[in-house]
Amino acid sequence: MNSMAGVLLRVPLFKLYRQFDWPRMLPINLTLSPSPKCNSRCLTCNIWMKREDELTLDEWDKVLASLGRAPYYFTISGGEPLMYPHVVELTQLTYEHCRPGVITIPTNGILPTIPERVERIARSCPKSQVIINLSLDGVGEKHDFIRGVVGNFKKFEQRLEQLLSLRSRLSNLTVGIHSVVSVFSVGHLDEIIAYAHQSGADQFITEIAEPRVELDTVGLPITPSPEDYAKAIDRLIAYVESKRFTGLARITEAFRVEYYKLVKRILDEQDQVIACYAGWVSAHIYSDGTVWPCCVRADNLGNLRDHNYDFKEIWFGEKIKEVRRSIAAKECHCPLANASYTNMLHDIPTLARVGAKVLRPGNKRQQTAIADTPRPAPTAEMVAKK
Amino acid sequence: MAFDWLNKFHHDMEKGPDYAVKTLAAYRLGMKAKGSIVGVVVQPAPNCCDLARNLPAGKVYHPDHAPVLPLPNCPQGRRCGCVYRPAMTYQQAEEG
Repeated sequence: MNSMAGVLLRVPLFKLYRQFDWPRMLPINLTLSPSPKCNSRCLTCNIWMKREDELTLDEWDKVLASLGRAPYYFTISGGEPLMYPHVVELTQLTYEHCRPGVITIPTNGILPTIPERVERIARSCPKSQVIINLSLDGVGEKHDFIRGVVGNFKKFEQRLEQLLSLRSRLSNLTVGIHSVVSVFSVGHLDEIIAYAHQSGADQFITEIAEPRVELDTVGLPITPSPEDYAKAIDRLIAYVESKRFTGLARITEAFRVEYYKLVKRILDEQDQVIACYAGWVSAHIYSDGTVWPCCVRADNLGNLRDHNYDFKEIWFGEKIKEVRRSIAAKECHCPLANASYTNMLHDIPTLARVGAKVLRPGNKRQQTAIADTPRPAPTAEMVAKK
Repeated sequence: MAFDWLNKFHHDMEKGPDYAVKTLAAYRLGMKAKGSIVGVVVQPAPNCCDLARNLPAGKVYHPDHAPVLPLPNCPQGRRCGCVYRPAMTYQQAEEG
């Protein structure tokens, strides 16, 4: 069942599960945070300050074995996941037990060991698509300022070049650029788009900076105003729609545009605009073994150490029922990208719009966005490359 | 403020037995590692006890000197709705 078709077949079953608590299903979208440790000092995140009694590899082995082949999409998150000393082994265990279709790993690109680790991961998971998303919150010193690390942008460029070279040899590796749109970066999103456009990366994705319990950013003023976000994101939508995509990328980009529009609505309406399936279809396992429905609420559903490392005991237990009731009753709303994409997959109007867009013959190429988008000031590296 | 529900939700969450120790240790490390955190603020719950209500509003503490939450004899115990919040440099710049 580790194919996209298998995921789609499960959509009606998850809709039943959410409504009637039957049939019982394990999540298809799992985020693992093996460690909160991070060598970035971002203005939009405080997770790097945390220290936890982290699960050992042996413990992860048991947890992943209990999940079996149910999950299709894994995110290995952090902290900085590629700084976690056992990240290669953890990914191998994930592959061995779950055979997921996709494994996504975000990274700040700081450590020089990243390409070697990515190569080992991609080679040891040959039937999974491995997506490495390099974080970029600004061009040049703006990136360094937001990420709190001097010289980070230079390292980002080195790592991007190395990973793109690796990609040319590894067919299951995708290299993307990921940008967090916060109050600190919303004003220069155009510049980031222009940079990403010429970077050679396979994809450019953005996520809005929203407060999260996980990141200890609740109450901090990091989310841009709906007006500022809408202005910036309209440019991004125009950019995405100006490009011609084929095959799977066409579907992915159609979902991406839907996501950006969804975020605008969530910020405007301050409501769970489409039904959230966190706690049914998606879940998060934190570094100390605590299971959460998502990292925004971070409700403690139970600790795997107290449940013999059997995920099913927590997922089908009693404690999760109250959390599911709360989510279904729309007591929360957020634009968390990871959950939102899963939610969109279970929303019929969204699926219909994506389907219509993908099937529309000869999407006319629009020439508006990039031409109007200011080009980034060239960095020393860019000049040297030319 | 966007996502006010989350602020309220966080106040309502039951605290782990090591809430104060872990949170203050994290902020202490954050200050030591020269992040953008400058200290910790206690944000009392709307229905907090008298002791919490009498804390100086908005005071930024060094983690070593912050009051331990839940405060002694808090009638709500681990259901105490008072929380710590990190005080960040950019907030100070905004306020100043």
